[in-house]
Amino acid sequence: MLERLRRPWPDHRAERTLGAVSLSVGLLVVAMIVFVTIRAWPIFQHNGLSWLGGGGHLESQLAEMQATSVNPPPSAFHLLAWPLIYGTLLTTVIAVVLGLAIAVFSSIFIVELAPPRLRNVAIPVIRLLASVPSVIYGLIGILVLVPFVGNHLITAHEKASVQNVIELTGAGLGVTAVILTVMITPIMIALTCEALAAAPVSWREGAVALGLNPLRAVLAVTLKAIRPAIVAAAVLATARALGEAVMIQMVSGGRFFTPKPVDGVIFFFEPLRTLASSIVDFHEGIGAPALRSTLYAFALLLLFSAFALSVGGYLIKLPLRRYQTRG
Amino acid sequence: MSTFAPQAGRPASRPSGGRQPTGRGRRSSPWSWRWGDRIVLVCAWTAGIGLCVIAAAIVLYMGYRGVQYLRPGLVFSRPNVSTNQAGSGGFLDPLIGTLLVTLIGIVLALPLALASAVWIAEYGRPSWLARVVESSIEIVAGTPDIVIALFGLSIFQLGVLAPLSFTSQGGGVYGRSFIAAGAMMSLLAVPPIFAASRDGLQAVPGHMREAAFALGKTRIATIRRVLLPAVRSNVATGVTLGVSRIIGSTAIVLLLLGGLRIETQGGLAGLNVLRGTGSALTSYIYENSPAGEGGAPQKAYAAAFLLLVFVLGLNLIVDRIGRAQASSMGVTVAGAGV
Amino acid sequence: MNQHRRLRLRLSIAVAVGSLGVAAAPATALAAPTISISGATASYPLVSLLAQRYVKLKRHTVKFKIAQGGSTVGINDVASSRVSIGDVSRDPLPTDPKGLVFYPIAKYGICVVTNKSNTLSNLTPSQLVSIFTGKTRSWSQVPGASASGTIDLISRTSVAGVLTSFQTLLLEGKKVSSIATEEASEGLLKQQVENDPNAIGFVSNYQADLGGVNVVSYNGVGCSRATATSGQYAGIARFYEVTKGRATGAASAFIGWIESSAAARKIISSQWIPIK
Repeated sequence: MLERLRRPWPDHRAERTLGAVSLSVGLLVVAMIVFVTIRAWPIFQHNGLSWLGGGGHLESQLAEMQATSVNPPPSAFHLLAWPLIYGTLLTTVIAVVLGLAIAVFSSIFIVELAPPRLRNVAIPVIRLLASVPSVIYGLIGILVLVPFVGNHLITAHEKASVQNVIELTGAGLGVTAVILTVMITPIMIALTCEALAAAPVSWREGAVALGLNPLRAVLAVTLKAIRPAIVAAAVLATARALGEAVMIQMVSGGRFFTPKPVDGVIFFFEPLRTLASSIVDFHEGIGAPALRSTLYAFALLLLFSAFALSVGGYLIKLPLRRYQTRG
Repeated sequence: MSTFAPQAGRPASRPSGGRQPTGRGRRSSPWSWRWGDRIVLVCAWTAGIGLCVIAAAIVLYMGYRGVQYLRPGLVFSRPNVSTNQAGSGGFLDPLIGTLLVTLIGIVLALPLALASAVWIAEYGRPSWLARVVESSIEIVAGTPDIVIALFGLSIFQLGVLAPLSFTSQGGGVYGRSFIAAGAMMSLLAVPPIFAASRDGLQAVPGHMREAAFALGKTRIATIRRVLLPAVRSNVATGVTLGVSRIIGSTAIVLLLLGGLRIETQGGLAGLNVLRGTGSALTSYIYENSPAGEGGAPQKAYAAAFLLLVFVLGLNLIVDRIGRAQASSMGVTVAGAGV
Repeated sequence: MNQHRRLRLRLSIAVAVGSLGVAAAPATALAAPTISISGATASYPLVSLLAQRYVKLKRHTVKFKIAQGGSTVGINDVASSRVSIGDVSRDPLPTDPKGLVFYPIAKYGICVVTNKSNTLSNLTPSQLVSIFTGKTRSWSQVPGASASGTIDLISRTSVAGVLTSFQTLLLEGKKVSSIATEEASEGLLKQQVENDPNAIGFVSNYQADLGGVNVVSYNGVGCSRATATSGQYAGIARFYEVTKGRATGAASAFIGWIESSAAARKIISSQWIPIK
């Protein structure tokens, strides 16, 4: 039999084997979705979709989940997770909006404005920033930025003004948003640079011929032409920001708190939690069935939003097809 | 492509009065622009320079702290048994753990990703299956690490997979081991290897395949003898990207490698390490930072510096492969285009 | 034909050896049972030391896997048979699952600590309650405190046994205010108190004795191993090892050794208080 295996394979056997291996990869992914959904099902069973809403006291809900082990009563599955969803949306939106602006400006700089020597420095720099592990960002955040914010930026008066509601320690929305922006911007820069460089030169030269200055030509013409790439970059960056767990857990302050913009500057010092960072926070207690379903429900939500993002990105790019530039 | 850099060696064209044409040898001065454009110019320069400054700050700061705290003794001694790492003990175990997990991850991911890439690029029938496979790999690429880690926890704690970790006295399948972590890491590495190999295969010119067919080779023989060697550098790039993704993943290690020191499980040499628990550099950094247990930021800095050096090294390798491929592409194409 | 038979022979030998190996694996695993433990962070140093000594004593014929997570996590894990033994740092509660057996192994004191720069020396019970329930929010309202500004309450997450014991013994049964920052372990709580001049928290006497923080007396009695041993200090709680049903096998041998051997008693007496 080994003899048969050693002889050169006929094409149909090779095709079927390779196809089977590829199929198994696909099945693995399907298995992932199925397993996560099965584990998350009890939360949906007991709450329907209302667990996405707010109004409850998350600390006590999760405390009850952790306290019930073998046969939890239905009340243990009660969950109102809005603070987490709000925290996730807040950090993601701030980071992506800031990051997109910075990315567009940086790519214009790198592709159009930078002298060649600086450009040759900037490209490896971008690649470096994109590949730094998130735990190192978290380390710098928690050892440098958080003490800086806590000791030098938060005044005693500000602390006292919220002392009956929450404690300000420096770890909070501001540091989280800054580090998250730095983390996801390089990905966006890489994509937009590539697209800018590949944009048709003739369009821009036409604009310049009509009297626009070179920078304005880029802004008016090329940027619009690479809109599909910008959308792709934003989608990729949002997916990365949504899934960031460890770095956010290190610098976000770890409270089920919804930072309120009406608080002014204090808004940026208030702690929060996101879906992914909560999974890291509570994973040790995963033995409690109610808590396990909750964590898997968070994971399912993250999985679903990553999937919805790529579909949404595809839909947004459809009407932009007429530009037919690579991206 | 820069329209601002003066073209080397071109004579300055004569100004033709009034509004000056731009491009050939005559710069458009920003002082003549509208305010909006000037603001954008300033923003672009700030963004670009700022980015370089931030990157330099991160590297220099980590370098400074790393040089301050990293000693050879740390790299080659095992960690303390207790969670309080301050004082003595190094991070040999996490270092070995990182290498082990990366090895397992790549060993599992390479055949899967390569086979899928070859099948998609060369066969790809039925087309609905090709779409399913490509979409699922895309889904994995976009899945957060923490979700993959939870998935790993859910399957490796099933009784069926108990031999892959161990069962403690009392009945619970532990579910955390090097195999578990490595298997989930392979999911991380499959998308980069798949994408790089598939792009490489699709970029191989058709005449190479046709020449092989004309000589009577079957499709699979062509793939084995002609195409795969041609995309070696693409696969290498993909593998390096996969390795850097694996090395940087903390969530999977935190959840699926339950421990600090490498502890073996069972009696079979080799297999006992795979079934055992340990840690990796990323989880070691996390545990020793103020977010974890250790309260030993010096060790965290030292380990983080080492990790950064690895990642930088991997970046350099990707760079080299890219440059080698670019320079050798001409030779291959010309040589085969007879 | 000979080639085929030779190949088949080789294959069958390989399969036989392989199956032997697979069969041997669980056999060798049984030879070195693994006791998995999870639970309280306060008793982790003690249980780690005991386990280390026990492994050496038994000449490495038993292995330990010790995780943390908090007393409630330990109780949950042992009740669902995920671990062999649960570490718990509080007395059994009526809400605990049925069928668990609690074996007390040591006593420890719960000390109130502040930052080193804050030279607060004593708190009366009512002062302590007022601070930790959030009624008093500013250090200026606490006599004897040298810190100024907002009081930063550092507490533990709800799964912590030390929190439950602290509330029962020193807070007259009241709950810590929800304003307090919740840390996941003793080490983290102590770290936070060390870094924040306005912080106040509570840790076991093991952590307090390690130094780096200012230990506050309760009702005139200082908190240390000595006052805890003599019974003067009010906040004395117990560490338990919890099993599902009566302990059996390797777990039972380990717990029996802790309860009876002189070596174990020596380890316990070094930083904690023996039960008897």
